[in-house]
Order: sequence, then C-alpha cells, then structure tokens
Amino acid sequence: MKTTIKMGVSALAVMAAGAVSAADMGAVDEPIKLAINEWTGQHISTHIAGEMLKAAGYKVEYTTAGYMNMYQAMSEGEVHAAMEVWSSNVSDQFAALVADGKLEEISDLGLDAKEGIAYPAHVAEICPGLPAWEALKDCAQNFATAETIPSGRLVDYPADWGTPGADRMTGLELPFKAVPAGSEGALIAELRASTEKKSPLLITFWQPHWAMSAYDVQFVNLPAGEDACFNDPAWGPNPNAINDCDFAASRIFKAGWIGIADKWPAAHEILKNYKLDVSDQQPMMGAVDVDGKSVEEVVAAWMAENEATWKPVVDAATQ
Amino acid sequence: MTLTRGSLAALVTLIIGAICLMLEPSFDWVVKWPAAWTLPITQWLGDGVGTVLQVLKPGTRLIAAGLQTVLDVAGAALAGMPWPLLLGGTTALGWYLGGLRLAALGFLGLGYVLISGYWIESMATLSLVLVSVPMAALAGLAIGILAYEVPRIKNGVQAVLDIMQTIPTFAYLTPLLVLFSFGPVVGLIASAIYAAPPMARNVLLGLERVDSDIREAAIMSGGKRWQQLFLVELPAATSQVMVGVNQCIMAALSMVIIAAVIGGFGDIGWEVLLTMRKAWFGPALIAGTVIVMFAVVMDRMSFALSQPRRSHSSRVLMVIGLLTLISAAVVALAYPDPSRISLLGGISDAMNSALTDVNVSYGASLDSVKNTAMFYGLLPMKIGLDNAVLPFTWGFEWTSSHTVWYFATVIGIGALLAWRGHVTGGLVAVIVAGMLETGIAELPWPFVLVGAAAIGWVPGGWKLARLPLIWLTVILLSGLWDKSLQSLYLSGAAILACGLLGGLLGLWGALSVNAWRVLQPICDMLQTIPLFVFLIPVIMFFQIGDFSAFLAICMYAIAPMIRYTRHGLTTTPDEMIEAAVSSGANTRQILTEVRIPYAVPSILLGLNQTILYAFAMLVIAALVGTTELGQLIYQSLTKNDVGLGLASGGAMLILALVADRLVQGFAEERRKALGL
Repeated sequence: MKTTIKMGVSALAVMAAGAVSAADMGAVDEPIKLAINEWTGQHISTHIAGEMLKAAGYKVEYTTAGYMNMYQAMSEGEVHAAMEVWSSNVSDQFAALVADGKLEEISDLGLDAKEGIAYPAHVAEICPGLPAWEALKDCAQNFATAETIPSGRLVDYPADWGTPGADRMTGLELPFKAVPAGSEGALIAELRASTEKKSPLLITFWQPHWAMSAYDVQFVNLPAGEDACFNDPAWGPNPNAINDCDFAASRIFKAGWIGIADKWPAAHEILKNYKLDVSDQQPMMGAVDVDGKSVEEVVAAWMAENEATWKPVVDAATQ
Repeated sequence: MTLTRGSLAALVTLIIGAICLMLEPSFDWVVKWPAAWTLPITQWLGDGVGTVLQVLKPGTRLIAAGLQTVLDVAGAALAGMPWPLLLGGTTALGWYLGGLRLAALGFLGLGYVLISGYWIESMATLSLVLVSVPMAALAGLAIGILAYEVPRIKNGVQAVLDIMQTIPTFAYLTPLLVLFSFGPVVGLIASAIYAAPPMARNVLLGLERVDSDIREAAIMSGGKRWQQLFLVELPAATSQVMVGVNQCIMAALSMVIIAAVIGGFGDIGWEVLLTMRKAWFGPALIAGTVIVMFAVVMDRMSFALSQPRRSHSSRVLMVIGLLTLISAAVVALAYPDPSRISLLGGISDAMNSALTDVNVSYGASLDSVKNTAMFYGLLPMKIGLDNAVLPFTWGFEWTSSHTVWYFATVIGIGALLAWRGHVTGGLVAVIVAGMLETGIAELPWPFVLVGAAAIGWVPGGWKLARLPLIWLTVILLSGLWDKSLQSLYLSGAAILACGLLGGLLGLWGALSVNAWRVLQPICDMLQTIPLFVFLIPVIMFFQIGDFSAFLAICMYAIAPMIRYTRHGLTTTPDEMIEAAVSSGANTRQILTEVRIPYAVPSILLGLNQTILYAFAMLVIAALVGTTELGQLIYQSLTKNDVGLGLASGGAMLILALVADRLVQGFAEERRKALGL
C-alpha cells in the first residue's frame, strides 16, 4: 500500500516537472537497448516503447534476454530497460540490485494484471457450481490423476515462481494437491490438451495472456485478496489459516539501469510516462500469436492509429 | 560352503538392509538424514565462489569482449553473405569429401535450413558453432597433449574431463553469467567447456596408440621434443584426432540451446524457446530440426574428413562452383532477404493439427497407458509397494500382512535359487524385492551406502568400494540426500527402460541393415534436437509429472544404448565367427555364444553413456515439473544462486560419476575375462 502511494506521488511530481520544461535528449548517438523477453505481450509493450523513443529521435536496439537472468546485465548497463517486470514473479536478484542502487523501478506500465486459480470453460460442466470456489470442495475427485489420488490435481506455477496455488489450497482447505508445472510451455500444453480432450483441469494462471481467450480460461471466484488475509488467520472463510483468499493484486512495471536518467534524460521521461492498457495489448497479442503477423507490423499499425495516445508523452519530454 | 565375491557382497548388503528395515519404525534417522547433521555446503560454495568470481571478473570481461567481437564478425559475415554461397559451398565441399552422396546431403541439409524460414537465426547459431568448435578443439588438443606428455597428471586430467562432461551446464551458468556478462559469449563458453573433453580424450588415445616403431624413428632422427610431437606423432594419430573433432562438433551443437536460455542473441535456440513457451509443436519442431540438419551435415562431413578418401571429379566441382556464383549474384540483386522464404508453414500446421487429432482420438488410451505405467511401475519404484498399493490403484490396500507374505514368498524364491546353485542370484533377488517394497526415494541411507560400496567391491576391491562411500557421504552432509534419491529414482527408471529397449533395438539394428537405416537418423535426431521440442507433445499426452519426465529422459538416453549395442554386435572379429562356423554353430548360436559375449564391453559402455545422459537430462526434465536435483539446478539459475547451483550440480555429478565408475568396473573385469 505504502509503495503505491509513493509511486503515485512521484509520478505526479514527474508530470509536473515535465510540464514545466522538456528534458535534455542526452547521448542520442548511443543506442538504448530494450530487453526482449520470452513472451509476446512483452514484445509488443517493448516495441511500442522503442518506437516512441525512435519518434523522439533516439536509436533503439532490441536485444533478446532471459527474463529471469537479465538483471545482472542490466545493472551493468549492457541492457538498459525492460518494459514488463511482474511483481508476482521476479528474481530475488532484482530486489537486491535495486537496493544496491544499480537498478530502478521506472514506473507502472498500467497493464491490469490478475492472477488466480483458473479453468478452461468446459470444466464448469465437470464441476457444476463453478466459478464459486466452494464448488471445488465437492468435485475434487473429478480432478484426480495417478499422481494425486485421492486428491484433485491443481497445476501450479513452475516451482521457481513460487507456490501460490498450493498456498491457496492449504488456506482454503481444498482437497487438491498442487503439482508444479516446470515452465510456461507446460502450463499452455496442459490448457491446450484439456481443451481438446474436454478433460478436467484446475490451473494457476494470469492475465493478460493470449491463452485466456484462446482456451476460454475463467477464474474461480475466491474471497478478495486483502492484506489481512495474508497476515491474520482469523480473516476469511478458514479461521485457522492465512492465504484463504484470492491472490494479492500484482503490478507490472518498467525497470531499468540506474544510469538512464543521466544518459538519456528525455528517454527516461518517455519511459516513465509510457502506459499501455490491456484492451490495447490483448488484440495485438492475438494478431501475432493467432493470426501469425509479425510484432513489427502489428505495432506499426497500432502506432499509426493511436497517435493521440502516445504522441503527447513523447512531445512532453522533448518539446 | 564357500561364498564367491559377489554373493559375499550381496549378503552383507542384505543384512544391512534387513537391519535398516527393523530399525526404521523406531529410529527416524535411518531414512531421513537429520538436518542437524548437515553442513552448510551450499552457502560455503556460494560465498567462496562468489568471492573468487569478483576477483576474476575484470579479466574475464576482457576475454568476453574479445570473443563477442569475433562472434559479431562471424555472424555478420554469415548473415550478410547471399545464401546460395553457403548452400553451394557446402554442396561443393560434400562433393569433394564424399562424392554424390555427401554433395546431396549438403545440398538438402542447407536447403532445409533455407526453406524453414529461419535462415538468419540459423546463421547466428552457425556463427556460434564456428567460433566455439575451434576454441574447444584447440583447448582439447592442448589438454590431450599435456596429459600425454606429463603422465603424472593423466589421472587428474581425466577426472577433470569427466567433471566437465557430467556436471549439468545449468549448474555453472550462473557463475558464467557473472564472469562473462550476458549474451551469446556465455553460451559459447558453456558449449566449449562441454565440447572440449571428447577432443582431449581422443587426442590422448590417438597419441598413446602411435606405433612404438614410429615413435622410436622420431627419436632416432633427433630433433627437439616438440618437433617429434608435432611433426611425427600427432600426424600419425590423425584419424583418432579427427574422431575427436567430430565428437567435439556434435557436443558443441547439442549445447547451442543454452545460449538461447540466456538470450542476447537472435539464434535458432531462441526461436525454439519462444515456440516452446507457446506450446506450438509444429514451429518448434521445424526450428529444432535446423539444428539436427547442421549436426548431420557436419557429422558426416567431418567423419569423411577422418577417413582415407578417393578424389572426385574436379569438373563437377567447378560446375557446382559456377552455379553457386551465378545464383549468388542473382539472389544478392533480386531477393536479398532469405527470411521471406518459408515453405514449411503447411507442414507445421499439419503437425499441430495431427497433435490435436491424436490427443482427441486417443486421449483415453493415452491416459490408461500413463496410469498403468504409474501404478505398476513408477509409483512402486518411487515410494514402494507399501505406499503405492491402494484401493484406487491396485484395487486393495497394502497391509502389514501383505508385507509378511511378500517377504516370505521372496525369501522362498531366493532360497530356491540359492539351493539350485545361484547363491548370488538368490540374494540379489531378495535385495531387489526389498527395494521395491520400500521404494527408491525412501531407501535408508546406510543401505544405499553399503550397497553401492559392495557393488564396487566385487570388481574393484576396496579401492572401488571406498569411492561411493566417501562421495555419497558428501551428499548426505550437504543436505541434498532426499532430492538425490528422487533423482536416482527418476533416472534409474529411465536407465532400466532404456537399457532393455535400447539393447533390443540395437540387436535389431545389428541383425538388419534396413532397420539400422531407420534407427540411425532417429538416434542422430534424438541426440542433437533441443529436447525442449518434445516436451510439448509429451505433456499434452501425459500431463505434467513423473511419467512425462521419465519419457523425456528416455528419449535422450536411449540413443547411446542403441548405438553401442549395435556397434558391439557388428564388430565381432571375422576369425571368431569363422571359427564358430567351422565348428558347426548355426546363426542363432553364433549370436548367443560368440557375438553377444564379445559385445558385452561395448554394451556396458553404452549403458554407461546412457547413465550419464539420463542424469544430464534431469535438468531439462525440470521443465515438466519434477521435484528433484534437476529442478534445484534449474531454480538456481532463475534465482541467480551460485551456491545452490554448484551444490546440486555437484550432487548430480557425484551420482552420475559413482554410477559410471561402478559400471566401468564391471566392464573392465569383463574385458579382462575376454582377454581384450
């Protein structure tokens, strides 16, 4: 809560500063390297930011980088910024490097993220009563497999992202055993197989994600994820446990090398004020992942149509 | 009654096992190594290595910058050159080395890369291989010569080579990231580390095998030691050295996917990772096959390089050259962008929908295959019959009376075997049955230690018994014991399956030439394609879990078993077969009495490779959600935890090397028995 307030205040301060005078361009001859991570939504967010920087007169390089292990390179200024860092799934190293003053959280991207316990739509027939979470108590055995019998099976996040699904099952005393997925590809393969076979599946998942619409994924309604739920066992349906509720809200923010503001002041302004909405990003993801268009052409089309959205941010920083 | 070495070892193991079973209910520590007895090895490693890394960093960063420049130049040259030059050049090289067959291979292989639509990405991958192979080959050459020249350090060098090949790359990727920063250079170094040992081994072997006449002639003619070495001995060892180069190339190619995991490089591995993340099987397979094509072309051509060859018409060579230049000029002027060429979209879509069809039509049968394998195979192996037999798996509950009856029957069978003269067999039967009742993941540690030592003692005496004792104790102290047992169970199950199935397939390949024509490319593909590709269909068919991990490991680890079994069976010396024929043996008898016994050392070597491969694959299997050492190693990478990566990589190394040494002990004993 505290961090959000602080963030809000600093954003206001920056906007005020931006309104007064344009920032310096800085080292326009040196390219700003933006990290391209492993998922399509991030490619879109990054390319839009890159095109905005180019429109302002910067050179931009897109460089592929593993999401989990790019921070060392970023702290040394070899990659400069990443557009989608998910607070729910970020390497411990990131926090350490921010504390050391080598990286900074630039600002929220504005994508409305949601994580939760989810299922492909057809599962509602296997477990009537969904999306209410109480329904899971009685139809757990319909989700059982060889590894989990007699409990139901919940496909949880890969182990290195934490075990939020397992925590919910324990908190809510649901008879499900959480199985870590190992990778995002494994989660998608499970979703795809379940949709094709009409087989039962309960899975920990998130949006925005292209698979949400591709496999008609629905979230289970859980008690709201308030702070009290995670600290106070008495809160929520289970008086003896914490985590008996939905996921805490997660943020998606932009992060970067600490030196951006000094080296490219105007670029820093642009990145700081750049926002992207789910309703903009999701159709573009579909155009890439479902219709097979390239990220560049999809982004170029969006930029041409939505100049009113992004142009003011560039102008405010440069003029 | 006198006991043989084998039965004595089995008896001791059995007694220890029985004692453990009796103590188990009252003393927890027999199964679970208490946390209070562990040492913070992970933390020591993390702190110690972390400090060393900071000292080395400035120097290694310079090296990284240098290598990056070399890579950039190679990459720019390959990507900038019109594609017909490379395609034609490879075809011409193929013709020069092996006539029509290799020319066609070169043309078709590179042609596939072109129409796959991944030409630019493929050139990035190729540049990585072109830089890493010479690096690894030179390092391997230097190491091999060093071990040959200074016999004192030979054993030490070989141990280092074992470690380089066995410790999972992911385990040391985190320190490499600190040392060499981010980007393809890390992948380059990792693949060079992995690819240098086969080169070094072959150089050493080749030098040791140089005829003593040749060596003496070199000494007689005078000259300095380096002149003898480089002008006489190394040239005499050329063919073995070329085998090393060949192995070096294959190893480097199998590691290119590692570069992609780190990123900084738009190579073919990155495409595989992106498509894998979306569970797009078709595109992932097409991208992965590009690496297979590179591997097959390079393998066959570098192999031809190591063989004596006849010359092929230079006129044809000139024609190919001319055609290449003309089409290169045309392409450069008219169609400069090779990534526009993509003809395999249809195949990719067809494969994707085939996957869906199989899933929809055979979903139920696939489920029952998985359930059968889990209920009657993997689960009992993992947690033992006492926990795996439940009303909803086997139809009844395992009770203590079952245990009593089970052991009574098993002891009866064992006694019967012993009475018939198979004392060792009887004892081993009881031990194996006991392990099955307990489950590998829940074996008491004293039993594992004594059992491994006993297995070593049979062929190798105290020396080989000491090794597992010491090293397994290190794992115990590190606190990674329960994860290690899970790794042991998963790879053990895969090794068992691969040993049986791979042995049979190898036998089939030895008996039928046509069978081998089918099997060989499959083996090539399984060993070089990034196995990430197959994780998608495996998960779709069999869901996340042990069975999928088991299948993924088997796919990779079965290839050497097939190869070595066939190799052993097809290389029986002619005079042995002739002798058998002249003494009236029929084909079947020749196989069972001559060829199979003669092939045992080679088959054991195959088993040994299968063991190493199975452990190596555990890290990739982590992507389908395992919970053992491989998962810890994988996590250490994302958590950037140097200590965790090295400690769990070390535990995996210990398991693999102990298994390796034990099998090699038996192989050595067999070779001696056969007089080889």
